[in-house]
Amino acid sequence: MTLERPDRADPYLDLDEYEPEADLMVLNFGPQHPSTHGVFRVVMYLDGETIVKAVPYAGYLHRGVEKLCEKLTYAQITPIVDKNDYVAPMFNEQAVNMAFEALTGTEVPIRAQYIRTIVGEIQRVASHLLWLGTFAMDLGGAIGGGTSVFMWCFREREMILDLFEHLTGCRFHYNTHTLGGNRHDIPAGWAEKVHATLGHIAQRVDEYEAILDHPIFKARTEGVGVISAQLALDLGLTGPLLRASGVDHDLRRDAPYNIYDQLDVQVMTDTGGDCAARYRVRVREMRESIRIARALVDNVPPGPICGTKPIKLPVQTRVKDGQVYVALETPRGELGTYVIGGGDNRNASPYRLKIRPPSLHALSALPYVLPGHGVSDAVAILGSLDPIMGEADR
Amino acid sequence: MNPWLHAVLYSLVLVTVLMTCTAYATWLERKVAGRMQSRLGPTRVGFAGLLQPIADALKLLQKEDIVPLAADRALFNLAPPLTVFFALATAAVIPFSPGLLASDLDIGALYVLALSGLMVFPVWIGSWASNNKYALLGGMRAVAQGISYEIPLLLSVTIVILMADTMSLSGIVQVQADEGWFIARPFGLGLATFALFFVAALAEGNRIPFDTPEAESELVAGPTTEYTGMKFGLFYMAEYLHSIIVAGLGAALFLGGWDGPIAPGLHWMVLKTLGLWMVMLWARWTFLRFRTDQMMTLCWRYLVPASLGLLMAAAVWVHAVHGVS
Amino acid sequence: MTTAERESAFVELLRARFGLAEDAEPPPEGFLLAAEHHFELARTLKQQHGYVQYVSVVASHWPEVPAKGKVEGDPEHYEVATLLRTVGPGSHVARWRVRIEMDGALDSLVPLFAGADWQEREQFDLVGVRFADHPDLRRLMMPEEWVGHPLRKDYAIETGHLPWR
Repeated sequence: MTLERPDRADPYLDLDEYEPEADLMVLNFGPQHPSTHGVFRVVMYLDGETIVKAVPYAGYLHRGVEKLCEKLTYAQITPIVDKNDYVAPMFNEQAVNMAFEALTGTEVPIRAQYIRTIVGEIQRVASHLLWLGTFAMDLGGAIGGGTSVFMWCFREREMILDLFEHLTGCRFHYNTHTLGGNRHDIPAGWAEKVHATLGHIAQRVDEYEAILDHPIFKARTEGVGVISAQLALDLGLTGPLLRASGVDHDLRRDAPYNIYDQLDVQVMTDTGGDCAARYRVRVREMRESIRIARALVDNVPPGPICGTKPIKLPVQTRVKDGQVYVALETPRGELGTYVIGGGDNRNASPYRLKIRPPSLHALSALPYVLPGHGVSDAVAILGSLDPIMGEADR
Repeated sequence: MNPWLHAVLYSLVLVTVLMTCTAYATWLERKVAGRMQSRLGPTRVGFAGLLQPIADALKLLQKEDIVPLAADRALFNLAPPLTVFFALATAAVIPFSPGLLASDLDIGALYVLALSGLMVFPVWIGSWASNNKYALLGGMRAVAQGISYEIPLLLSVTIVILMADTMSLSGIVQVQADEGWFIARPFGLGLATFALFFVAALAEGNRIPFDTPEAESELVAGPTTEYTGMKFGLFYMAEYLHSIIVAGLGAALFLGGWDGPIAPGLHWMVLKTLGLWMVMLWARWTFLRFRTDQMMTLCWRYLVPASLGLLMAAAVWVHAVHGVS
Repeated sequence: MTTAERESAFVELLRARFGLAEDAEPPPEGFLLAAEHHFELARTLKQQHGYVQYVSVVASHWPEVPAKGKVEGDPEHYEVATLLRTVGPGSHVARWRVRIEMDGALDSLVPLFAGADWQEREQFDLVGVRFADHPDLRRLMMPEEWVGHPLRKDYAIETGHLPWR
């Protein structure tokens, strides 16, 4: 079977103009489906088992976070946005707090910047681990080899959650970043724990590569879901998706925040833009993040961890009028926060807060990529995009 | 003893034993898979979770029996018992020890293959009657896969028939007991045939890496999407039964069946079946899943030509050793 | 080029061709341009200045401000901020705002950037601002039968809304 795969399918294809004799079947994929990574729906028009047109529908997890943020004070927003990208919450809170700091002109102490960088890199490892597990499960099924990789990845991710629990007291929604710094200082013995955990995970990553280095995995991923560099840029794909298409771009190096300008971050790129390239980029990024976090954790400078005084009432944080856009590199790409300062509630809450979700951009690639593939490949492609619906729908 | 009485009594015992084996096969699989994934598997019901299969069966019996409004009710209800029937019927000719089998058919090997070929019918009936698109896609895949992999399976068994010069399964085992197991005889050819048989049998039994019809990450549950409760349980049971019987068939055709030193033949047969089944399980919890078109490519482009080549080689070998008969 | 150099080049471009006043300091809100420059600016940036990555579009709703004493009145309107980015070292985000009247529509960037499709749909859905020549302007987040645009300032958060009161 040869599948005709255009470089960029037409998402606005008029089905009446598609071969009139073809007997198209409409397959409603999701929102309740094992492989949609949450609640996401794609209506697929199938010719046989080949997708002719795919129309995705987002929004099943829309919770109105942006509207809610307009009613909350700056201090109250952090725990709310934690729930957006529930696989990498550290980045969510850091993103909004960096935007608020830019709006208020608050300096973040160097120690807090180190802590932010370290937890960010560890969180990236955890997020990629979860991706690897779920991707293998998409390819291998819930009863089969995929689950083995899934279980192993979760076993290691659990160790990272333990690290964060030691640091912040929470396993998932940390609320550790705050305006001007961090809430939780590094506890005694944490650095050794980080070394032990990350060293262990670095060995395990070799194991995952060993089990996934077989012909079936290659056959299922190579040449599947190719996103060209031009399409990736046009769609605003970021992070591993963009780098897997061969574009050398990483905000940690190209628009540094925190202490990344002092670090030598290796940007992992790959060519091909297919699912295999995305897998390779993520695995290499895992190793790189482990390296960065281990190098930093011993050299955290002493000093305060927060540049502002602890606030007693949430409304005490006031910001000036203004509009800022701050972006940082999450495991899924560029997580931006656009804040228009100064709203009602006496400047204590933003007028408008827009989160730029990398997952939503990633999902918007589906109508361009899916046509020409079968249903099995659709699952692999959707999995390789690593969408987190909590973030895409907000 | 009256052969009819023997057949009926033996079948009753066999069905009971096989059903129990199937139930405990699920327990064993969950235990082994658990260890492979650094989990424990079932531990709560009974000692080491030994009563888990019974609890599962009770749970399945209590589930609401849902028949979709748009389903073809009669066919929908017919499919699950039919699939178990075909799976069990295959077991009738598997020789567990000399004389210990329901019916020593002269065409035992052919009978097994014919019935396992029929296995696609209940699956297709169920998927069509469900009136569900996922079930339909799964059913289509199941039929395509079942029919395609029937050919290398048949050809690999033909090679054994050719070498043993009999179609009776107990006859084939007896030949191996006398002259050596077919996995090692003739050198290389037997092993290649066994590998071919094993791959084709995995695909025929819809086991990972060939479980595209079920493919729960793509097609929810494939043909069984709309089935609930014990009807789903029957499909599940048939799948396990089929895999156990295929393992038994492999043991009888290639591993010498009941042949072995010291212990009685039945022990050896059970041991070999279990070993082969464990290899299937090992593959299942290690590999990912093929895509449908890749499976078809594998079958038609590699397995079928390979099996034809092996058949020729086997014919030449038989001619060289035994001469024209 | 570094980020700072790109920023000054961007300001120069705005001054030279897109009607930014010569002496205008970069305001804290970002540059406000006339709506007719919007598409042309995006095309110039993409094709000549390397702003090849589509970042985002942010629409906001500004209710009517009645004239009171010295405060000048301002009719109800939308503001749409667009963000484009260069890739590679020294990455810079070009950001500009456009004011749209309530019955107006902004030129869609979909012909330039495929990614603008969903982002503009989302802003249309949540804020209500219309995009001219958008190929498929449907709601993205809310159900299709939803009444109202949730991120407008006149859309109260506490009360129930159609179709679920």
